Amino acid sequence: MEHTKGKNDFTALGKRMPRTEDHRLLTGHGRYIDDIDVPGALHACFIRSPYAHASILSINSTEAEDMPGVIGIFTGKDLAEWTTSLRMAPSIEGVKPVEMTTLPIDKVRFHGDLVACIVATDRYIAEDALELVEVDYEPLDPVTNMFKAQDAGSALVDETLDTNLVSHQTFATPDVEKVMAGTDRMIETNFSEHRQTHLPIETRGIIAEWDAGREHLRIHVGTQAAHPYRTAIAGRMKLSESQVTVISPDVGGGFGQKIALYREELTVAALARHLKCAVRWREDRFENLLAASHAREDWVRTRAAVDENGKLKALSLEIVEDFGGYCFYPANYLARVIAMILSGPYKLDHYAFDVKVVLTNKCGNGPMRAPMAITSWIMEGTMDAIARDLNLDPVDVRRINMIREDEFPYQMASGETLEDINPFETMEKGLSIIGYEELRSAQAADRERGIYRGIGICNVVESTTYGSKFYKSAGIPGSGHESAWVKIEPSGAVRGAVGISATGQGYETAFAQAIAEGLGVDPLEVKIEIGNTDIAPYGMGSRGARGGTAGGGTAYLAGLEAQKKVLAIAAKMLALNTADQLCMKEGKVWRCIKDDWTETELTLADIARTAYLDPTKLPDGMEPGLEVHKAYDPPPMTYSNSSHFCQVSVNINTGEVTFDRYLIVENCGTVINPLIVEGQQHGATIMGISGTLFEHVVYDENGQNLTGSLADYLIPTAADVPELEIVHMHTPNKRTPAGIKGMAEGGVMGAIGAVSNAVSDALAPFGITIDKHPITPDALRALLRNKS
Amino acid sequence: MKKVAITLNINNRDVDMLVEPRKLLSDAIREDARLTGTHVGCEHGVCGACTVLVDGKPQRSCLTFAVQTQGKAITTIEAVKGNNDGYSALQQALHEEHGLQCGFCTPGIIVTFEAYLKENTNPTEDEIRDVLSGNLCRCTGYQNIIRAIQKAAAVMRGETPGAAK
Ligand code: FES
Ligand code: FES
Repeated sequence: MEHTKGKNDFTALGKRMPRTEDHRLLTGHGRYIDDIDVPGALHACFIRSPYAHASILSINSTEAEDMPGVIGIFTGKDLAEWTTSLRMAPSIEGVKPVEMTTLPIDKVRFHGDLVACIVATDRYIAEDALELVEVDYEPLDPVTNMFKAQDAGSALVDETLDTNLVSHQTFATPDVEKVMAGTDRMIETNFSEHRQTHLPIETRGIIAEWDAGREHLRIHVGTQAAHPYRTAIAGRMKLSESQVTVISPDVGGGFGQKIALYREELTVAALARHLKCAVRWREDRFENLLAASHAREDWVRTRAAVDENGKLKALSLEIVEDFGGYCFYPANYLARVIAMILSGPYKLDHYAFDVKVVLTNKCGNGPMRAPMAITSWIMEGTMDAIARDLNLDPVDVRRINMIREDEFPYQMASGETLEDINPFETMEKGLSIIGYEELRSAQAADRERGIYRGIGICNVVESTTYGSKFYKSAGIPGSGHESAWVKIEPSGAVRGAVGISATGQGYETAFAQAIAEGLGVDPLEVKIEIGNTDIAPYGMGSRGARGGTAGGGTAYLAGLEAQKKVLAIAAKMLALNTADQLCMKEGKVWRCIKDDWTETELTLADIARTAYLDPTKLPDGMEPGLEVHKAYDPPPMTYSNSSHFCQVSVNINTGEVTFDRYLIVENCGTVINPLIVEGQQHGATIMGISGTLFEHVVYDENGQNLTGSLADYLIPTAADVPELEIVHMHTPNKRTPAGIKGMAEGGVMGAIGAVSNAVSDALAPFGITIDKHPITPDALRALLRNKS
Repeated sequence: MKKVAITLNINNRDVDMLVEPRKLLSDAIREDARLTGTHVGCEHGVCGACTVLVDGKPQRSCLTFAVQTQGKAITTIEAVKGNNDGYSALQQALHEEHGLQCGFCTPGIIVTFEAYLKENTNPTEDEIRDVLSGNLCRCTGYQNIIRAIQKAAAVMRGETPGAAK
C-alpha cells in the first residue's frame, strides 16, 4: 500500500481524542429528524393491518376524510400510480425473483403491514382520523412457522411464487461426502437464533419537501447509506438522481435498520410530490417494534466428522432462515454470508452447506449488527460439542483445530482467504489472563458446593470490510467501494467528505483523523461533512464494519493525495526539482536535508493561497485550486479477530444468569481512535449479550406480534450488564490503507458464542446444552425442570 | 379538541402557548417552546430519553401533560452548563470518557444525573447502575457512561478527576 511512513510514525491515527461531534449532542443542539423545523409541513400516519395475513376487501375513509385538518387518505392503488414497485430479482441461482408495491393493494402479509396513509395538518389529527377509517379484511391462513411454511399445502405468503422457499443455495467441496462417510465419529449440533429487532432509540422518520418550481425533492431521513438511498428513491419515483437530495442529519442509532428505502418513506416522498408541499412522518415505538425491520430468526444444524483427537475432518451446515413477509434485501443476503465465512479461525478442508430462506407472515428481515454473528456460536458450540463427546478439554479441541500463525494466508474451504489475523495468540493470551486452569479447578470445587459457574470461550473472526469482489463471488449484488474528497480552501481551511453516513459511530472525528494523517495536519483542523448527497461523493454507506477500512481508509488515501499536491506546489515555491525530500507535518512543510527534518517557512495556508489566488506560480500544467477526489475498493474481504472469555454463575433455582467476568482480547489492526474503537466494542458486545439473554420478538401462532412495547421487548439496562475488560493485540492488515481492518460487529459475534457456551458449561452437570436463544430465566428453569 | 392558553416556565423563561389539554409535555417543549434537546424514544415511559426536571426532580415528559406543569419550574438539557457557559462536570466527563455515541439517549441521562449527583455526591457503582437503569441506551453498553458519572462525581466533590476510577 502506498504510504511512506511506518505504523509507529502515525500521529493523528491512533490518537485517543474525544469526539468533535459530542459538543452539539451534549448540549441539546443535535439535529435529529424530528428537530428539523419545516414550516407548514403536513404529517403522515399509517393504517396498519391487525392481521398477519389477510385480503384487503375494501377501505372506507369517507368519515375520516371529512375531519377538519385531514388532507387525504391514500391507498396502495394511489401509490402505484406515482411510484414503481420494488423488484428484487438478482440473477443468482436459487434465489426467486420477488416484487412488492409501495403499499399493499390486495393483501397484507404481517401484523403491522401497511394498508393506507393518512395526511393531516398535525400528527394528533392524523392519529384521530386513523380511528375513523374502516378496513374490511378477509383473514387468510397465517404462515408463522418456517418449517411448516415449506409444506406443500401451506398457504403462500407471496402468491407469485409457487412456494414459500424463496431462496435455496448449496455448496460442497469435491470430497466432502466421501470424508463424511468414512468417519465413524459424527457429531451433530443444533443452534437456533430467535427473532430480534434493531431498536435504535430514535425510531425511523422522514421529511420530504417537494420544490414544485425546480421539480426537486429534498429528503431528510436517518439513513446509513444516503447515496444508495437516493438512487433507490429516484428510481422508484421516476426522477433523475439529480432531482433528489438526501440529507441524513444526526441519527439516533441504526444497527442495520436504516439502510433500505422503506415503503413508508417512499409513500411520504411520493405524497410530498403529489401534494406539492412538505410531508413528514415520525414512526412511533409500537410501529418500530412491529414493522420497521426484524432480524436473525434461524435454525442451524452442523454435522462434524472428527477423529479421536477431536480434529475436524469435515463439516456440513444446514441453515433455515425465516425472512418474514417481504424481501427488502436479496433473500440470500444474510444466510449466504454465514455459510461463506463459517469456519472462522478453524482449519477445515471438506465442507458443505445447504441454505434455505423462507417467507412467513412476519415483518421482513434485514441485516442487524453482525448479521453473520451466529457463525462464531456455531463454530465454538461445535468445538464444545466435540469436547463433550470425546471427553476432552474444550481448549484442547480448539488448539488442535486452530489455524496457526505460519499457516496464513489461509484459504477457507468456501474459497475465501483469511490473512493478517492472530486467533491463536488472542486465545492463548486470554487463557493466561483469566487463569484458565485455576478456573477449571475452582469450578469443580464450586460444583461440589452446589454453585454452578461456567466458562465460555468464543474465538471470533469478524468479516469487516466487504470489497466488490466478495459480493461478486458470493452472488450478492452490490459494490464495496467508498469515496472521499479533500478540499483545502484559499485560507488553508481543510474540509473533507466521505460517502458513508454516520449513525453514532463518531465518523466525523475518525475521518478527520484519517485525513489529517494523510495530509499532515492536526485532526482538529479538518472539518468533515457527511450524510448529504449534494456534498459528499457517492459511497456505499455504513454497514458491515466498513466504516474503518472503507471510510477511514479512503479518507486517509484522499489525505495522502492532497499532501502530494501540496508538496508539489511547495517544491516549486522552494525552487526544488522534486518534492521527494518534503513532507507535511502539523500544517507546515518540512524538508529533509541529510537525514535531518526541519521546518520550512511554508505553511498549508501559503500553499493554498498560491493554488487559488496566484496560480501562475504553480508547477507547469497544474490546475489551480486544491481539491482531490479519491475512490477505493477494498480487498474482497478484510478480517479482524478476537477472543471472548465469559464466566457466569447460574442460579439453578431462579434460572438467573449473572456475570462474574468478561474479557476480550482483540486485534482490529491499525486503530484510528482507541476511544471510539473501545466504545464500538462495548456497544457490540452488550448488544450480543442482549440478544442472547433478553431480546425476543414474539409472534403467537396466529401471527400476532406480542412484543409491541419496550415493556415487552426487553433490552438490558445498566444494572444487567457486565463490565468488559479489553486487551489489545493489534497487528496491521498488509493490504489496506494504513493497515486498518475495521471492527464494530465482532463484539456481537463473541458475546453470542461466549455467553451460550458459558451457560452450557455451567449446566454441564445436568446434561444441559444451550441450543436456543434467548436464554431467559424461564427458559433455563424449563430446561432444568425437564432434567430433574 | 379545544385549545387552552397556558404558560410554562422552562429554563427560567415563561413561554406562552396554546395547546390541547392532551398535549404531552414532551411535545410542548419540543414544538411550542422549540427546545428540541429533549428526545422522545418510546412515548410510553420506558426509555427515559424524554426526561426533564420538574421542580428539580426528574420526570418523564412523555407521561406528563403540558397543562399539568403550569406553575412549576421545568429544566431541560438546554439549561445544563458549567461555569462560564462551558460544560458541566458531567458533560465534560461524558465527553472525555466517550459516554455517548448517537447521543439520542444522552440528554435524558444528563438531566437525570445532574439532579442525582446533587442528592448523592458519592454514589457507589451499584447505585449509579441502579439509577441509570431508568435510561435505555442502545449504543454504548453503558460502561463509559458509568465511568463518566463516577468521574463527574469525583470532580464535583473537588477530588482529582483520576480518583474516580
Ligand atoms: S419517550 Fe418518554 S420514556 Fe421514552
Ligand atoms: S448513545 Fe445512542 S442510544 Fe445512547
